[in-house]
Amino acid sequence: MERMDQGSTNDKLDALFAQYREACPDREASAGFMPHLWEQIETRRSAVSSSWFRLWAQVWLVATVTLAIVIGGILIPRLENPPAYQASYVDVLTAADSANDAVVLPSGGNE
Amino acid sequence: MLIEFELIEKAKNGDDGAFNQMVQAYRKRILGTIARLIGKPEDVEDVGQEVFLRLYYSLDQLRAAEVFEPWLYRLTVNAAYDYLRRQKRRHEHRMSDLSEQQVMMADASAGGKQQAEEDRRTKIREMVHSLLDKVSEEDRILLMMKEVEGLSLKELEKIYKVNENALKVRLFRARQRVLKAFESHE
Repeated sequence: MERMDQGSTNDKLDALFAQYREACPDREASAGFMPHLWEQIETRRSAVSSSWFRLWAQVWLVATVTLAIVIGGILIPRLENPPAYQASYVDVLTAADSANDAVVLPSGGNE
Repeated sequence: MLIEFELIEKAKNGDDGAFNQMVQAYRKRILGTIARLIGKPEDVEDVGQEVFLRLYYSLDQLRAAEVFEPWLYRLTVNAAYDYLRRQKRRHEHRMSDLSEQQVMMADASAGGKQQAEEDRRTKIREMVHSLLDKVSEEDRILLMMKEVEGLSLKELEKIYKVNENALKVRLFRARQRVLKAFESHE
């Protein structure tokens, strides 16, 4: 008996859902639906592209700052501290070469 | 399917005209579904806009044109669910949403037989909404999609990406709860 009651309540609930479907039919959109949709699409699109631009700008800024720090860290100390050898490699070679000449030339002068 | 697969592919490849046609083909059905799910006529278009906006920006993730409809329904269900959760947070009551002017206009415009029919529909809508308030937002939407929208378990499986048995159990429990409320209401 209880099962029969539940069966009929089930049927009534099904009928209620069917009536609800009928009471809320599919509806047409208002005239402003499409323009407003495209407006929102455009707004989000420009927000996305500007955020991409912002991201790129940040990446470039970070890269530039990093490069500046690296250059500053490596080059500035080198410029500030003079090298241990005062004479250049060419000066040293020239000096060595002239010393050799001093040894060789006098022997030619005696002949 | 209300549209050709080719149109979906075109829209996927960034053809705005094709996307426009897609929206025009589905908007009536989707707005109807949203209206039945959320039960607030004044907010239906906003939720509908959200659905199509999400569709526009997620179309490139659609694997195949064949699964377009379940995909669209999934977006609809998610947008309706988000809306219902927001509403719950705001603790809004259905009647308080109508301004005094709107109520007066509705009263003034209605007349005779048309009024009686509208009253009957309003009663049905209110009855169903009060019954569905007895279950969670998730179950409310699931039950609506099955009982009112008439989707099959196979279709729901595609939308929810949950196996059929789990859906059956969930639907059964939700329906039992609604049935109980319905019995006590009668």
